[in-house]
Amino acid sequence: MSALQPQLDEIARRLRDAADAVNDSAELEELRVRFLGRSGEVTLVRRGIGALPPAERPDAGKLINDAVAQMEMVLDAASARIARGALDEELQRRIDVTFPAPDAALGSIHPVRRIIEEIAETFERLGFATVLGAEVEPSYYTFDALNIPADHPAREGFDSFFITPELLLRPHTSPMQIRTMQQHRPPVAILAPGRCYRRDAVDARHLFQFHQVEGLLVAEGINFGHLKGALAHLSRTLFGPDQRVRFRPSFFPFTEPSAEVDTTCPKCKGSGASCSMCGGSGWIEIGGAGMVHPNVLREVGYDPAEVSGWAFGVGVERIALARYEIDDIRRLIESEPDFLRQLQ
Amino acid sequence: MRLPLAWLRTYIDLPDDVDAIAEKLSMLGFPVESIERKPTISGVVVGRITALEKHPNADRLQVCTIEIGASKALTIATAATNVAVGQTIPVAQIGAVLPHITIAPRKMRGVESEGMLCSAEELALPAEWFEDGIMQLDETLPLGTDVVTAFGLCEPILEVEITSNRADAMSVLGIARELAAAYGTTLRSPSLENPGSEAAPTEHAPQIELRSSDCTRFVAQRIEGVRVAPAPSAIRIRLAQAGQRPIDALVDISNFVMLEIGQPLHFYDADAIPHAHLIVRDAAPGERLTTIDERELELDARALVIADENGVQGLAGIKGGAIGEIRASTTALLIEGATFVGARIRRTSARFALRTEASARHERTLPPALADAGVARAASLLATLGARAFAPVVVGDAIPQATPIALNSLSVKRLLGIEASPDSIAFHLRALGCEVAVEGEQLAVRPPWWRRDLTQSVDLIEEYARLEGYERIPESLPCVPATEVSSARYRREREAAHLLEALGYREVLTYSLVGESLLGALAKGGLDERSRSVEVANPLSEEQHYLRASLEAGLLAYLARRDERAAIFEIGHAFSRGESTVLETPTIALALATESIEEPTWQDRGFMQIKRDTFALLARLTGRSISAVSGEHRFLHPGICAILSIDGRPVGVVGRLHPYLAQSFELARPIYLAALDADALPDYVAPTYTPPSKFPATYRDLALVLAPDIEAAAVERIAREAVGADCVGIRVFDEYRGAQVGADKKSLAVRITLQSPN
Ligand SMILES: [Zn+2]
Repeated sequence: MSALQPQLDEIARRLRDAADAVNDSAELEELRVRFLGRSGEVTLVRRGIGALPPAERPDAGKLINDAVAQMEMVLDAASARIARGALDEELQRRIDVTFPAPDAALGSIHPVRRIIEEIAETFERLGFATVLGAEVEPSYYTFDALNIPADHPAREGFDSFFITPELLLRPHTSPMQIRTMQQHRPPVAILAPGRCYRRDAVDARHLFQFHQVEGLLVAEGINFGHLKGALAHLSRTLFGPDQRVRFRPSFFPFTEPSAEVDTTCPKCKGSGASCSMCGGSGWIEIGGAGMVHPNVLREVGYDPAEVSGWAFGVGVERIALARYEIDDIRRLIESEPDFLRQLQ
Repeated sequence: MRLPLAWLRTYIDLPDDVDAIAEKLSMLGFPVESIERKPTISGVVVGRITALEKHPNADRLQVCTIEIGASKALTIATAATNVAVGQTIPVAQIGAVLPHITIAPRKMRGVESEGMLCSAEELALPAEWFEDGIMQLDETLPLGTDVVTAFGLCEPILEVEITSNRADAMSVLGIARELAAAYGTTLRSPSLENPGSEAAPTEHAPQIELRSSDCTRFVAQRIEGVRVAPAPSAIRIRLAQAGQRPIDALVDISNFVMLEIGQPLHFYDADAIPHAHLIVRDAAPGERLTTIDERELELDARALVIADENGVQGLAGIKGGAIGEIRASTTALLIEGATFVGARIRRTSARFALRTEASARHERTLPPALADAGVARAASLLATLGARAFAPVVVGDAIPQATPIALNSLSVKRLLGIEASPDSIAFHLRALGCEVAVEGEQLAVRPPWWRRDLTQSVDLIEEYARLEGYERIPESLPCVPATEVSSARYRREREAAHLLEALGYREVLTYSLVGESLLGALAKGGLDERSRSVEVANPLSEEQHYLRASLEAGLLAYLARRDERAAIFEIGHAFSRGESTVLETPTIALALATESIEEPTWQDRGFMQIKRDTFALLARLTGRSISAVSGEHRFLHPGICAILSIDGRPVGVVGRLHPYLAQSFELARPIYLAALDADALPDYVAPTYTPPSKFPATYRDLALVLAPDIEAAAVERIAREAVGADCVGIRVFDEYRGAQVGADKKSLAVRITLQSPN
């Protein structure tokens, strides 16, 4: 019995020495087999238990088991040390992280669409639906139903492309007001983005085709303050939290009161000081708005005594020019790859 | 409208700061588009030439003695040739500041000159509109008067936009009225009482005949003792500042009244109108008119004219004719001040492309009472020049008093979202000239005669808001009730754009209106798009003559601009001719420009790329399976073109650009196109989940040797039918042609995956 303990201690000491000297996991495995394997040194000692008197055998077994557990701990520690060493080696790796990665194969969304999406998203969060409509419209939807009868001088302001005397390319997205209200009873809350056309000579500020987003909210208790709030909210979403909005009285036959809507010039932040974007006024015009005219509500069968509402139309290109500091509106339609790449 | 601030100030006290005035106007609904600032001028006074001598040492100079009132007379040498003793002229004294010089004492060829005589140009007036040389002033001006302040020569000119509803604001007085209401100050309106009370002698008394109800009022007045001579300085200078060239006193007074109070007038030489008989009527077909500016017009019944017994005198409300115009010998006038139905004037003005200051006002429909006011004002001005005014003759309906409009102060709050007391509403409306009776919450409002645009309560609410200031209305976010309107079409378009972005395509915009350059290139490639395209009736240029019949053509033109790889898309409408209308197809169009590669004729990698992308797009948009069959499309190579369908319904096309078109667009690279009809796409169906089978899947690959015209789709279909229920996947994955299968054969490899369901 007393002879067993020193023998095990001696084996353990040799194992410890050997384990300390080992530096890779294969050698360590060899060590495990040499000491603890099927014909390893400890196994040989364990076989010797059979030769002991039966009364001593349990104690001897326990001694051996304890010694094995100790030795396994030594081997595990060595294994952990070796594994860690391998990681430390991995940690020495260095690559040039500034080396350019290849470009992802993503395309891009046109800036005009991006702005439409931001506007739509802003209003969809408020509960608006977004609808699309035709670009060729009868004059009933573009003018008559919008309280612009034939010969009204305001028709001249919408210098339109005609297909026939009764059919034209819409000069604004407002026909969607009429179409939506005729199809749905109030309340109605829609956004209608789309292409519009006017006979403007093309230059750095004008295109004969452009995009507008129409907004329309008709329900009980809707007032001009809500219109101001909604467009201020939109303008802050598009240009930043400090944005202010200015409403100037104007005239549109389909709204009353009507307003031109300006927002703080995003370039000079409203200071105006020799600013090329706003011409020094500190404001940029984003569109027109107003309370839906009672004649329009009556035309679609709504009762102006019961419901009220507002409508606005904002120019997408105009917002894009201000937002991205684009020098020439024609760049939007030219869609040059470099232009799209810069604004993607 | 050009608005000289100096003129405005004659009717109303205004702040000095022009920017503040411009801001005020903008916030009243009259945007100021520009401000023309004048150079500083000072030290110029009214002088009179009392003596004139030849310069002793210079042939081209004269030496003038000039009285300038109290202080001693000045000696001034001048090179001007239009000077004469007795003339009243502007004199820049020593120290005066003119646009380009400051006047200092100087010797001119030995003569001490104590100032300078001024031309119009030196007073910042358009030189070409005034006499050459030294400007002539009224004799009646007190000597020594400061010319700059008397005529407001340094005051800026505002360019103001007047919205089409404001017939009343197309005048200096109209704007002054608005500013008076906004600033709460008094308006100094000129008298609009007619000085003529005695009826003209019978043979000269105007006889007016209204044969058209499109003339709502006609005021005619005989004036005697007029003289064609320059108008008083104040009128000439005001007109010049307002952008109207001064002509002579008569023409100038007519223009002055139009600009001042907004009523266009016409002055006839009374001797040229037989029996002073004027007729307002439709033109007879074929009738001709030579306008004052010598344009020959051929008229028909659509035109409203003013005629005398011999024929047409003028185009009503637009332009006068040459016959009755004022000439040098004119001594008696017949003044016409009339109002018309604006639409009639507008149509005629548009038809003859004759836009005049008069038509710009008349087409907004002027209030009938303005005709009386305008004629009265002209008669007063002529009277101050010594003319004799007889009583005006008025034809037309009596001017009805405006009916009171009922306005409840609660409806103001309801529409604007601010508290509005009946008194504050009454205050603003009265400032605009309305008569207002208040009874509790209820107001009865009678608009003034010049505001014919105020007809219902909402018009008054807008006036209240305008004067109260839109900035006083607080911003608040509305609580939007749930509505039933669907966003489905927009969502699909947005999703398509984002999927294509993820697939590597860039979105571009191209023009929806196209013309010769694009259609010509298509025609050269064998495509007659003109016959299917919708025509625009009034294009601005040939390049806008048609609505695009496809998006593909625009994308080809885009790709043709540069020779490089590209993957682009556009989402927009294509237009085609319908029975009696225009058909619009919302289209998603893709185009791919790749690199030329060596490949066998029966393979096309580019096609597979755009097919792959289009399938991915369609599958994600609809949640359904897509099928392709070979087909034809006008833009595509007949052998590399597939018609795409979903549930048996065609939704679009994909293929390689037709080589003829590639040639005509000079596209050297392989080009592939896809066009999808967004409205033909079925609704999205959400997938349902099937748990994995506990049975393993297995597959079998077969290589089939086939005739070359047997398509993969047929093989897949037959295999699916043959294998039956446990077939969970069939896919042709390889094609081989060559020696191993023989010349007129091909080999298709197909993988059949089998798995039992749970
Ligand atoms: Zn700015």
